[in-house]
Amino acid sequence: MSNDHTELSTRSFVDVHAIQDELDQVRWGLHADGEGSEAAEHAAAEARASVCNLITVVGNEPELGAVTSVLDRLSVTNPSRTLILLAQHTREADKLEAEVSAQERTESGHRVSTERVILHAHGEPARHLASLAAPLLIPDLPVILWWPGRPQFDNPLFDDLCELADRLVVDTDEGFDDADLARLLQVARRQKAQASIGDLNWARLMAWRHVAAQFFDMPGMLARLAHIRGVSIFHGHDGSTAQARLLGGWMRSRLATVGIDVPLEFRLDDSIEHGVCRFLIYAGGDEGPARFSMSRHRGGRLSTQIRLGDQDLAERTVRLESRATEELLGIELTLPGHDMLFEQALAAALQ
Amino acid sequence: MAQVAAAPLTQNVLRDGLILPRTPDPAAMVIFGASGDLTARKLMPALYNLALNRYLPSGFSVIGVADTALSEDEFRAHMEQAVQKFSRSQPVDRAVWQSLAEGISFVRMPFDDEEGYGRLAAELERLDRERGTAGNRVFYLATAPQFFSVIIDRLGASGIAKAGEGWKRVVIEKPFGNDLKSAQALNQAIHTVFTEQQIYRIDHYLGKETVQNVLVFRFANGIFEPIWNRRYVDHIQITVAEDIGIERRGKYYETAGALRDIFQNHLMQLLSIAAMEAPPNFDADSVRDEKVKVLKSIHPIDVANDVVRGQYGPGWVGGQQVPGYRQELNVAPTSNTETFVAVRLKIDNWRWADTPFYLRTGKRLPSRASEIAIQFKNPPHLPFAKTAVQELTPNVLVMRIQPHEGASLKIAAKIPGPVMRLRTVNMDFFYGSSFMVESPDAYERLVLDCLLGDATLFAREDEVERAWSLVDRIEAGWASEPPPAFPNYAAGTWGPPEADALIEHDGRRWRRP
Repeated sequence: MSNDHTELSTRSFVDVHAIQDELDQVRWGLHADGEGSEAAEHAAAEARASVCNLITVVGNEPELGAVTSVLDRLSVTNPSRTLILLAQHTREADKLEAEVSAQERTESGHRVSTERVILHAHGEPARHLASLAAPLLIPDLPVILWWPGRPQFDNPLFDDLCELADRLVVDTDEGFDDADLARLLQVARRQKAQASIGDLNWARLMAWRHVAAQFFDMPGMLARLAHIRGVSIFHGHDGSTAQARLLGGWMRSRLATVGIDVPLEFRLDDSIEHGVCRFLIYAGGDEGPARFSMSRHRGGRLSTQIRLGDQDLAERTVRLESRATEELLGIELTLPGHDMLFEQALAAALQ
Repeated sequence: MAQVAAAPLTQNVLRDGLILPRTPDPAAMVIFGASGDLTARKLMPALYNLALNRYLPSGFSVIGVADTALSEDEFRAHMEQAVQKFSRSQPVDRAVWQSLAEGISFVRMPFDDEEGYGRLAAELERLDRERGTAGNRVFYLATAPQFFSVIIDRLGASGIAKAGEGWKRVVIEKPFGNDLKSAQALNQAIHTVFTEQQIYRIDHYLGKETVQNVLVFRFANGIFEPIWNRRYVDHIQITVAEDIGIERRGKYYETAGALRDIFQNHLMQLLSIAAMEAPPNFDADSVRDEKVKVLKSIHPIDVANDVVRGQYGPGWVGGQQVPGYRQELNVAPTSNTETFVAVRLKIDNWRWADTPFYLRTGKRLPSRASEIAIQFKNPPHLPFAKTAVQELTPNVLVMRIQPHEGASLKIAAKIPGPVMRLRTVNMDFFYGSSFMVESPDAYERLVLDCLLGDATLFAREDEVERAWSLVDRIEAGWASEPPPAFPNYAAGTWGPPEADALIEHDGRRWRRP
């Protein structure tokens, strides 16, 4: 696969109209070559694929570099207008700068073009960057707010951007504690909340959820779902529990819909540093005891096993994708509306 | 202590929100022709990728059947090599393969060997017992067509096709017959053992993401349907062009030709999905009902005037000098097999009355392209009387299937400047620009659909027979005339001059895809 990445232009501005003009120029190639020029003629003929506006907020230059690399890779599958807000309201001297750039990428002969605006603000302007972001968005396309790290829930910028956005994407695996999860739930359930919530950590749990559900698709297993009597979740010892909590919350919330209140047990696994590594579901009832187990292994694999009484059924090994941030973000960009399952899982995780 | 649900559960609540509505039931897939090319190149890589991505259930098992001297271990090793070579996901995950391979076994037998079917039945029973396949079976006929009937007959006679509990399904590869009579006979033979609901006739074209996208393009975008009719459409061109020759398939191609190889299946499928009415839902029968209605509505073809056939001679394609068809391996030096067909047809219904459809397919054409092009009528009045409007060409909407899947719309635009000058421009959209992700192979989709019992993307009996009756009519017309002086087009050209005359007679031209 060929991959040719070209930086078309990079220019700096401080005025919103100048930024808009430059964005139009880089989007449509309307450089001042004169009326009737070849470039202008082609401009009328060009269709551009864009799937969303993506706003992201960073607090310092190193974060800016990391986020920019993720967005570069994301742009291959999701051509978007990207606004990166480098908001440093704690720095004293007021400052507002904008940098507009355009990238063109060729993948297997297909051209993908994106525009990016980096808004860099200090002091008071940093708290009001939403007012600058709003006029720079492409009309009619969804607005995704990706907030890497723990959101500054008390920063007015957070609220302003949430109002602008159709979806807020966070990663609860980035040090979210219970208080952060509770604030996130509040945001999701805020009255008139337009922004739905996406969580990259939730997306990482897709394989676990898929495989757990598959146990009970098997003939004769559905009845055992009504007799689940406990769940054990083993996770790494680095102190990050959000992923395990969400998985437990998901189990509890789904079973609550059919009147089952299932106890959750969380256990540390000293052999693993981070994330969920084992998930056990215990069932009882007239059919006898059953254990459904899923274990994560090195090399991105998940093995599954069912034990009925003392008999082990066929084992299975499947892929447990270790997805890069841009892939997880890409999945989030395709999801419409509120993810009620996530919100219910989050609420149940906090019970 | 956990509370227990008050009433028995009727649905798996853990599945809510997951993309697939359910996992296939544990099943055994019996592949007849397991040592063949299709199994190695397509089926086993498809099964591996389904397993890798968690689509296959626990206990899923495969029994390879072939009359080839292979031990079970050798068969597994052969399949592993095939997956290593042909899987779209690389490198192959050994643990996942091992997990799949544990359910793979091999039965050596000739396809007509009654005793062999006894051993096959015993193996299936073992899988039910040990791997929980519960009597669910897919019989995949990946063999040469001459074995279809005998395998079906033996599956019936041995009782395997009906034994015990669980569902039974049979997958038949194309070509499904070689004319209407043989297709009907095959349908009849299969129906003595399987009902229509159990039969999955594969045309892998329908498993392609790109073909399914045509349906989405038409029926998920409200702006196109109102103009998708005789009132606004001047004509439709459907092209399936290949730049390759017949490769090493001379023996097969000599008996098939372009008419049977592409026209009867791929072109008919594209015609159906381009012309069909919107189905009420995406159920198998709803979609196929609409497709069959299109085939039923095709106006009887006047073969002498509406059909052109061709055969390539030597020429140049892509800078390479290539031989003519008659010089290809396993082709008779005096062969009259067609490698090109162009057809003009009309559909007698309210949507399409008097709107011609021009279909063409051929080998060794200048480029590879599959597309459906909708050419719209000119505006009834052009107010730009003193402008260069004669330069304008009509609006054309093209749905490209391969390569470069996407859509393009040809529109008129004003050239910037003080005078009114118009020109035609193309607005191109590549799906790849929005979804630059790897698509599953058509066989992955189709095998999974079959395991899930969804026959939407498989051909139904009446669909196949309608397509064959059209082919038979063309064959009969050709048989009543002496063959053209083949070869009648050079490799690397867009077919014989008669194909141009066919469309130019109506005041139109073929597109250059």
